[in-house]
Amino acid sequence: MPEAQANIRVRPLDELDIGAIVRIDERITGIYRPEVWEQRVGYYLRRDPEACRVAEADGKVVGFMLADLRAGEFGLEEPGGWIERFGIDPDWRGRDLGRLLFEAIVAHLKAAGAASVRTLADRGDTRITGFLQKLGFAPSPLQALEIRLAQPPGEQRR
Amino acid sequence: MKVHEITLEKKYHDAVEHWRRHNFKDYELLLENWDRYFPTDERFCLCAKLELGTSDQVQVGEHRGEKKRVAPDELTEEEARHLLGIIRAQASTEFGSIQQHSGTLERAHDDQDRFWVLRVMAEELRHGYQMIHLLLSQDWSKASGGVTGREMVEEILSMQTGNHVLDAFNLDYDSFLDNITFAALIDRVGKYQLTMQKVCAYRPMADSMPPMLREEAFHLAAGVIPLRRWAKRAAAGDPFITMTAIQHAVNKWLPRGLEMFGDERGGETNVKFGFKDMKNREAQDLYLEEVRRMIRDINARFLRARFPEIGAEQAEQVLADLERNRGAHRGVRHDDLLRLPDRRFFRRKGEPAFAMVGVDGEAFTDVEEYLRHLAKNLNEGYVASRDMRNYAEALRGVAAGTLAVADAVKKMPKLKRVGGTCPCSKGVRWVMEEGEGAPGAPASGAGA
Ligand SMILES: [Fe+2]
Ligand SMILES: [Fe+2]
Repeated sequence: MPEAQANIRVRPLDELDIGAIVRIDERITGIYRPEVWEQRVGYYLRRDPEACRVAEADGKVVGFMLADLRAGEFGLEEPGGWIERFGIDPDWRGRDLGRLLFEAIVAHLKAAGAASVRTLADRGDTRITGFLQKLGFAPSPLQALEIRLAQPPGEQRR
Repeated sequence: MKVHEITLEKKYHDAVEHWRRHNFKDYELLLENWDRYFPTDERFCLCAKLELGTSDQVQVGEHRGEKKRVAPDELTEEEARHLLGIIRAQASTEFGSIQQHSGTLERAHDDQDRFWVLRVMAEELRHGYQMIHLLLSQDWSKASGGVTGREMVEEILSMQTGNHVLDAFNLDYDSFLDNITFAALIDRVGKYQLTMQKVCAYRPMADSMPPMLREEAFHLAAGVIPLRRWAKRAAAGDPFITMTAIQHAVNKWLPRGLEMFGDERGGETNVKFGFKDMKNREAQDLYLEEVRRMIRDINARFLRARFPEIGAEQAEQVLADLERNRGAHRGVRHDDLLRLPDRRFFRRKGEPAFAMVGVDGEAFTDVEEYLRHLAKNLNEGYVASRDMRNYAEALRGVAAGTLAVADAVKKMPKLKRVGGTCPCSKGVRWVMEEGEGAPGAPASGAGA
């Protein structure tokens, strides 16, 4: 069980955090998928490592949040931050680590010229949407739209 | 995180482009395929980048609290000479690593690995360009003994593998494994140097660091992520990739990486002058701890691939047991995993220079036995190299008492270019140099 008085530190992501992120994701989803995280972390590290943070408790990574700064997509010319993935080790929930990660990222994105921070979440996942609301996220006038495409028989959906 | 971009005066920009055409042939290929491998990333810019909004106060050393210096004339002559040594060494490593990466790039196992390394090379080119900007944007003649900026740039662009300021940049790669191990270990030294130099009392140097560091983060990923994948393939029994081969590459590069920090007993001057915020041993200790973490991470990747049914915690337990007992677990021996070589292993500079210490810290008294130990723990191509022959010769001299360690350190021959500035001229030959390294070799190092 985690220490009540653990020493918490939030710092930028680095390539040696992949193992810890894989472990946290596995604890949350039950799926071991190192390849997915190798690819994602590779992506974020070449964008801007400081826009992504991990939370350490007594030197062990127990939470992460991955974000980057984008401009010029979907007609959004103004630079904006996008938070794509985050996860907190279930043993370390309820300690505001998510907020600490978020605040560090927002400070960095702001300094980098972001005018807003966006994310996409499944409306049905109230645990996630509740967490985002507590951070200050509100529904955006932008709306995510999609069409489900039927796969030809025999072809696998990725 | 706002950045000011600067292009060199045309003739110098052209000189770097000329060097690039000779030493980095796949540069155009990288740019043509940029969107394929790095979609939505900013296009590559061959320019110097200076971070805006950084501190203008000296943070460490005897000038702490004073205003940062913005021209060499504001430094004392000794400080300026010292800093010039750091900048030239840094420039040399940046260009040097491109030449090294080029040699074995074609042997990359897949295109993504190859394009990642190509991007690393382009960014090293930009780092070299950045250092040239620092040399040319101000008058360093007081510190350079009259050597002009133009001459310093010529000297840097004419270096070939063999006469770079730091030894890690004088070693050829033997396979693509060297490309990724170099990125994982030697670029990591670079990360430490750049991080320490963020405080530099010479502001243009300090402001050069953050953009370089952001790029460096990807260089480390371009080493560690392929190594993780290779460990997985080794676990699956791929006959062409083994943990032993990876270990041999680690054994080759780690000692050179440790030496790039400079002598363990030194680095005080850097702190005193406010150029770096750590002494050599302090930084080396942190580096070593980080490499230990990296090796553990790769080992865990290996174990989970070998035993898909075990979870993260169990894998960590197995790892801890194997490290402690040096035994075996269901056919995986301790020797099948990577391990951190002893910091005194295969050293030729610094405190343990020419000490005969094995990978696991075992002491040797017989030179020939030690050389056989090295041959067993390094890859064949490297063992057969000229670099190893020179080292063995010096070591035999030290052991026989005919050569002092200090002289052995200086004795490593360098490949020196003679005449001309175009790197395509073949005027290169082996020469023994008086004294250690190139002029201005710093008491502590740099890194790509
Ligand atoms: Fe570099
Ligand atoms: Fe690098």
